[in-house]
Amino acid sequence: MKTILFSIVVLGTLSLAACNNGTDKSTEANKTNADTAQAATPENTDSTKSAAPISAIVGHYLHLKNALANDDGNDAAAAGKAMVGAIDQFDTSSLTSDQKKTYQELAGDTRENAEHIGANADKIDHQREHFEMLSKDMYDLVKKFGAGQTVYQDFCPMYNNQKGATWISETKDIKNPYLGKKMPTCGSVKEEIK
Amino acid sequence: MIPMKWSKKILLALVITFITMQFIQPARNKNGQVLPIDFTKIYIVPANLQVLLQNACYDCHSNNTRYPWYVNTQPMAWVMAGHIKNGKEKLNFSEFGSYPTRRQESKLKGIANSIKDDIMPLSSYKIMHKTANLSPADKTLLMNWMQRKADSLAQIN
Repeated sequence: MKTILFSIVVLGTLSLAACNNGTDKSTEANKTNADTAQAATPENTDSTKSAAPISAIVGHYLHLKNALANDDGNDAAAAGKAMVGAIDQFDTSSLTSDQKKTYQELAGDTRENAEHIGANADKIDHQREHFEMLSKDMYDLVKKFGAGQTVYQDFCPMYNNQKGATWISETKDIKNPYLGKKMPTCGSVKEEIK
Repeated sequence: MIPMKWSKKILLALVITFITMQFIQPARNKNGQVLPIDFTKIYIVPANLQVLLQNACYDCHSNNTRYPWYVNTQPMAWVMAGHIKNGKEKLNFSEFGSYPTRRQESKLKGIANSIKDDIMPLSSYKIMHKTANLSPADKTLLMNWMQRKADSLAQIN
């Protein structure tokens, strides 16, 4: 009887602890949001493209892409987390309301995909699935807001049961992030984006 | 009063804690209505697919949870409330139409991938809910449908 009661209470305490963790997390998230809001200072008010902050997001994306090409899930997760941070810190105050809407729609999806990649260091296949959607978002972001450097859209026809998938690269040379070291040079440049 | 032994005192404290726990009930996730932005309102979803979603997904990913008998026992209800909150944050079928089209496409692919990679439904959930154990045929049906829907949205995006 004692053992039963004891285990019930232990369970209860554990779940209480679990609940507390949940609350902490949301408080933390709120805090981050508040910090971001405070950190938001108007910059580049006169330019239509705010290339500098987007280039931070692009930079983390390229880091992520190279990590996947090297089959390194941990490095990819780190890059994914950094990307989430860069998106949260991006200052939309310099954008027109139309741009802001486009940005928020694209960045919302980008952030979610990057978050999943950050949380799945041990599941590189799952990271790659999210990377496929992320790459599509990145292409549109770069097209709309500029990458701050010349980038290329590459295409691998083999990934996803021959359905194919694209990614953004900083070099003309192919380094396939979907197949990694198994087939590092599979794919071709589809478009040069200046 | 006769002084109790320490072990008895501790036991009494534990019993009181357990009983007190029962009075702290988290709010239920039960909203009877089907919103116009519900998954089944914005897409034409075949009936058999709706049943699968209901059985395997909706308890944590919608505004309506079918609660089991042990929901009134703490700490079970707290654990459940946590899962539901987290689940709805990531994906809520009841409000699927509120996501921008691109998010919808991403979510649909995410659903297909989570089933393919056996990430969802959660294994702890499957232990308690036998109907959430999808057969290989059910899985294929769900994955193919989600993928097709995502592909059709991709053409709009």
